[in-house]
Amino acid sequence: MSIQGLIKKTRVSLCQDCGICTGSCPVSRVLPSFSPRQMIGRLILSADLDMEEESLREEDIWSCLTCARCLERCPSKVEYLEFVRAVREEAFRIGNKTRYAHDGITQTLVQMQTAGMPQSKTAWAREAGRIQDEGEYFLFVGCLPYLDVVFRELGVSPLGSAGSMLKILNRLGIDPVVRNEERCCGHDMLWNGNVDLFKELAAFNIELIKRCGCKKVIFGCPEGYLTFKTYYPLYFGELDFEIIHFYDFISDKITNNAFNLSPVESTVTYHDPCRLGRMAGIYEAPRKIIASIPGMKLKEMERNRESSVCCGVSCWANCSSYSKQIQMDRIKEAKATGADTLITACPKCNIHFTCALSSSDIEMEVKDLTHVMASAMNI
Amino acid sequence: MSKDVLVIGGGIAGIQACLDLADQGITVYLLERLPSIGGKMAQLDKTFPTNDCSICIMGPKLFEVERHPNTHLLTYSEVEAVDGEAGNFMVKIKKKARYIDEDKCTACGLCAEKCPVIVPDQFNMGLGTRRAIYKYFPQGIPSVYTIDDSVCRVFQGKKCKICAKICEAEAIDYEQKDIVFELNVGAIIVATGFEVFDPSDIKSYGYGTIADVITALEFERLLNASGPTRGHLERPSSLNIKAEIKQTEKKIKKAKARLKSLEKKNQGSTDEARKTLAALDERLSGLKAKEAALGDVKDIAFVQCVGSRDLRYNAHCCSYGCMHSVKEAIVSTEHGSEIRSTIFFTDMRAYGKEFHEYFLRGGAEYGIQFVRGRVAEINQDDHGRPVIWCEDMDARKVKKLPFDLIVLATACVPSKGIEKLANIMGFDSDQSGFVKTDPNKPTTTSAKGIFVCGCANGPMDIPSSVSMASAAASMAAQTVKGLG
Amino acid sequence: MNTELRIGVFICHCGINIAGVLDIKGLCEYAKALPNVVTAQANLFTCAETGTSAIKKAVKDNNLNRVVVAACTPRTHEPLFRASCKEAGINPFLFEMVNIREHCSWVHRHNKDAAQAKAGDLIRMAVAKAAFLEPIETFKSKVEPLTLVIGSGIAGMTSALALADQGFEVILIEKEENMGGLLRHLHKIAPANVAASELIEEKIAAIKKNKRIKYFTSAILEEVTGYVGNFSVRFSCGNDSYTCKVGVIIVATGGIPLRPEGLFNYDGKNVITQSELEIKLKKRDIEAKSIVMIQCAGARIPERNYCSRICCMVAIKNCLYLKDIIKDAKIFVLFRDIQAYGVENEALLLKAREAGVRFIRYRPDTPPVVENGKVKIYHPAMGKEIFLPADLVVLSTPIVAHDDAESISRILKVPINGNKFFLEAHAKLSPLDFAFNGIYLCGNARYPATVREATCQALGAASRACITLSHDTIERVGTVASVQEELCSTCFTCIKVCPYNVPYINERGRAEIEPMQCQGCGICVAECPAEAIEFKYISDKQIMAACEALLAS
Repeated sequence: MSIQGLIKKTRVSLCQDCGICTGSCPVSRVLPSFSPRQMIGRLILSADLDMEEESLREEDIWSCLTCARCLERCPSKVEYLEFVRAVREEAFRIGNKTRYAHDGITQTLVQMQTAGMPQSKTAWAREAGRIQDEGEYFLFVGCLPYLDVVFRELGVSPLGSAGSMLKILNRLGIDPVVRNEERCCGHDMLWNGNVDLFKELAAFNIELIKRCGCKKVIFGCPEGYLTFKTYYPLYFGELDFEIIHFYDFISDKITNNAFNLSPVESTVTYHDPCRLGRMAGIYEAPRKIIASIPGMKLKEMERNRESSVCCGVSCWANCSSYSKQIQMDRIKEAKATGADTLITACPKCNIHFTCALSSSDIEMEVKDLTHVMASAMNI
Repeated sequence: MSKDVLVIGGGIAGIQACLDLADQGITVYLLERLPSIGGKMAQLDKTFPTNDCSICIMGPKLFEVERHPNTHLLTYSEVEAVDGEAGNFMVKIKKKARYIDEDKCTACGLCAEKCPVIVPDQFNMGLGTRRAIYKYFPQGIPSVYTIDDSVCRVFQGKKCKICAKICEAEAIDYEQKDIVFELNVGAIIVATGFEVFDPSDIKSYGYGTIADVITALEFERLLNASGPTRGHLERPSSLNIKAEIKQTEKKIKKAKARLKSLEKKNQGSTDEARKTLAALDERLSGLKAKEAALGDVKDIAFVQCVGSRDLRYNAHCCSYGCMHSVKEAIVSTEHGSEIRSTIFFTDMRAYGKEFHEYFLRGGAEYGIQFVRGRVAEINQDDHGRPVIWCEDMDARKVKKLPFDLIVLATACVPSKGIEKLANIMGFDSDQSGFVKTDPNKPTTTSAKGIFVCGCANGPMDIPSSVSMASAAASMAAQTVKGLG
Repeated sequence: MNTELRIGVFICHCGINIAGVLDIKGLCEYAKALPNVVTAQANLFTCAETGTSAIKKAVKDNNLNRVVVAACTPRTHEPLFRASCKEAGINPFLFEMVNIREHCSWVHRHNKDAAQAKAGDLIRMAVAKAAFLEPIETFKSKVEPLTLVIGSGIAGMTSALALADQGFEVILIEKEENMGGLLRHLHKIAPANVAASELIEEKIAAIKKNKRIKYFTSAILEEVTGYVGNFSVRFSCGNDSYTCKVGVIIVATGGIPLRPEGLFNYDGKNVITQSELEIKLKKRDIEAKSIVMIQCAGARIPERNYCSRICCMVAIKNCLYLKDIIKDAKIFVLFRDIQAYGVENEALLLKAREAGVRFIRYRPDTPPVVENGKVKIYHPAMGKEIFLPADLVVLSTPIVAHDDAESISRILKVPINGNKFFLEAHAKLSPLDFAFNGIYLCGNARYPATVREATCQALGAASRACITLSHDTIERVGTVASVQEELCSTCFTCIKVCPYNVPYINERGRAEIEPMQCQGCGICVAECPAEAIEFKYISDKQIMAACEALLAS
């Protein structure tokens, strides 16, 4: 679509030029040259003056964390995220690409997944619990196995979380389908502007889930959940299976005291991931889970729920000094609550905060909510 | 058929419409939901662009309404039903019981001095307190007291009746009942005004959680000499601490008495009582230190467009917010020589007569800082001071600025009862919920014989409300004279 | 008044408001001993029915001819007590009030002795003054049930029709050849979306066929004398001169958009004003594909430091009509602050944005520069100057006062402000009145207004006028200044200082003050070097008597 078309479709033309987006943007606070408001202003003007391509070469297109903080507050309801996503698609097409983090390893892994190479990534699952090849529930594991390999040195255990998730499901009497053929959900490709690759991955996953006869797909990762829930239907129409987030799924069952949780004496705070909170509207399920653990006290950070801030990097791109500053500010905010543990609900937030902490002297533990839950269940 | 007119709403618009008609020799009924007429204007401290004391210029009008031979004041009353048509409306009105004989009450105020029930004062936006028997505000008309039966002890089945005992005019009547009656009028003017938007809906602004983030109308009361602080500009957090100090001092007094009696009786150990007292003393000195650390209010921020020009809440502009904040910032300087104000805005809407000049004076003479940029969020710093995050669009920089007090210029929203009234009376509302008018006839509603003026029709400032009130009076007069 | 002075003093307890601090009985005893005092009584509440009845009874029983009440503030209660005096058969101005609540028991509640002494002093002063009070009569004057409306734009015509609809006769004068004012040249009115010509033709037709309205075009106002209810007006119409008597006058003389000579390369062809654009829109005579509008062209600048209120909405309205005609037109509006106040205006702004109109903010220190077919502007998001293509540049110029505003203001003796807009009696509460009774104001003559606002004000001004017109006579209390001719030295001081332009030099060469016009402010009384002007109810004799009583303690 032309930029002019996008401006209209995503309500960018309604921008009041008030600056609330820039004032809310975590990037603008540490990188003054970046401003969502000004970016909009430049893109509109260049489109009006028939200089679209010039604006598509802007580097700022990639500085946005797509965290949706501005979206939440925009008085004109400008669909800024959709605009950025679409602009990135156009930019990618003309060769303006983002700077990948970690030497592009995650992007390479995704490329490999579409190359038809056989994968063996269910060994952990067979060790951790019971899985099936076909059935009602599909457990979408996502990139956890890869992240486990890439970031093991940080001391995070993405596969540990995946295993916990499986065990909890097993305890609820669910033996989900976990498959080797599962591909990356395509989230990062979508936001990196590589829509063709995204579509390829998505088509493959949809076909796989259909083939396994699954009616319900459970996600532990907010990105996979959001991508399936919002973006697959955008390109492929309505899906014929249900998309469920793991925390929604189990928080419903907590009231039945199905888990027999043991006490965990600690004061924690909870970080709302952008994809789970602002973009999917899941704020209360994780809190309900924390509240259900005896002895655990939740202290809210000042910026919580709709006001939560991004963990500093998205889509494995553009990790830089400003990412670090965003992360440290957030960790300090967590510390100020008096909590000793920062609980996250997204594997990427977990990795980013752990990484930031590793080079600081703040004493704070970062834990994945699934992991916390599993401990309380003595798993 | 009737040649009389009913005006609904006793704010400045309703009052002006009422007086215009009465002065023309037409009999007018002025109905007001609250115990006194006066409306929002009575709550304002001063008015722009002349800095006139609001109640001082309004007071004589209130008085005129009461004394005018052609007006009938129906306060503490509501419209229940309307039947009939232009020239001949039958209006069912409920006059709520005040439990006071209005003819006998001289408003001497003794009853309220002795009344034991203390509740938040609505006129002061909950910042001060009143008693269960109260006068809505000192200059309120009619100048009589009212018993709030939702809190009065007598109506909660408790023993009290102190007010009846103390009232020398014998005006208290606990047996008084609501009265429902019918009025026959030829035309009706709707002047029901507006409400201020509740900013606690906008979580990122911290209203309701950060004590020193307040609304513009609350700020008016803090500035006002007859307000809860007698016009001393204090932040709510320091008022809270003061209240806590008072409470703690009371507790200390009690604890001391207890200790004394224990010592006197010489029974058992006094250790426990001493410990309690010591803890209370420590708490008191802590509170006093906290109060001293707060100091005077020096830096005030005004946040524009709170809930206005915002498709999530109200798409419309409140029309008066910019000038209202400039005025409050100017008036603040009279409350302390070191007070500095910053106004955060998107468009400075100083579009009325002498408004732009007033805005320029605010900057040049009173040192108001104007920052172009809509406030993104309000947090608290380590000392509990509220902090504004905002893009300064002229400087093209995101700024983080701490203040002592943050004033939210809240949106102007339709009054709560307007929907019910629209149903009863059969007039249409516009996209924002205000009373809709004929595009070519500015006071004419979709219901024949029913006219509108003031903020019931949409956000507008006082002179516009007053002009429109006269216009509505003109239309109503035409209707009852049977010539229009 | 040669009869014996018989003064009654009434002292109020005001519950315990006064009695809680002051010894009321003591004050009564004190008052009784004062010269000319026949009776002194206390009341629990003097303002209550029992209190006023007590006054009336005492007047009758003691044959009183002066009443002094010591209670609360005259601001709220003086009218009540004056009415009681009248009912008791004495002139209401043979009454004096002392505030022993606010001035004594409230402010000095912690110093009872001082409060008591002060209350005594105040009562003594009032009694001394009361001895010199004189009855003051109200006088009446007939009201001519006729209105002069000056100006036949939307405001003037609306006022005239509203008055006629209420049964009053109107004389409408217009200085131009045709009625209709500014709207005659405009295209359409938003948000009503009606053609301006339609609106105006309808009104003109209504005026022409209304038997109660006499209209005169090419009519110039020449002289106005008199006062509320009784103005004499002279105006000319071509070679004819007319005089008439009217009761009230409505000023609806309008305003005019500034011609931006020398601003932004204005040439009337490629750089035009919004009004010129409206004429083109009317004719659908526009081919431009790229249009730039510049707001505040000649407004909010040091030499014209006001916001003209309506230009932003005029621009937005015209953007939408342009988009209707030329679907693919690129329109840029360069603005400082968009004035889209209220519900409808903000909705229209949103509509313009939806339609693709672009709004770019500029600062007064970096104004746009119009060059050949282009507009150079500092773009805040770009952080640099850019060029916008412009086949047509439209300047939004402010409404300014007409050249004759000053002369009309002189003829009517009503003020104008620094920008030559007529100045109302009070910015907040009397927006349509002049301080001078009987003259009212509406529309652009007051300040730039939209059609809707001007209509509203016109109806409002009609309502204000009806107040006077609906009475056969008007009453005026005689608390006014009057000149003792034998003392006047014709120094013109009173003429210079009177804020209402009331004093004049009469045929005997002395200053004269028309009591119907005098507002009773007292400035001339204080300023007159010959002490020739007297103010009834606050005469020198009365003030001196009170002062002497104070010093005599």
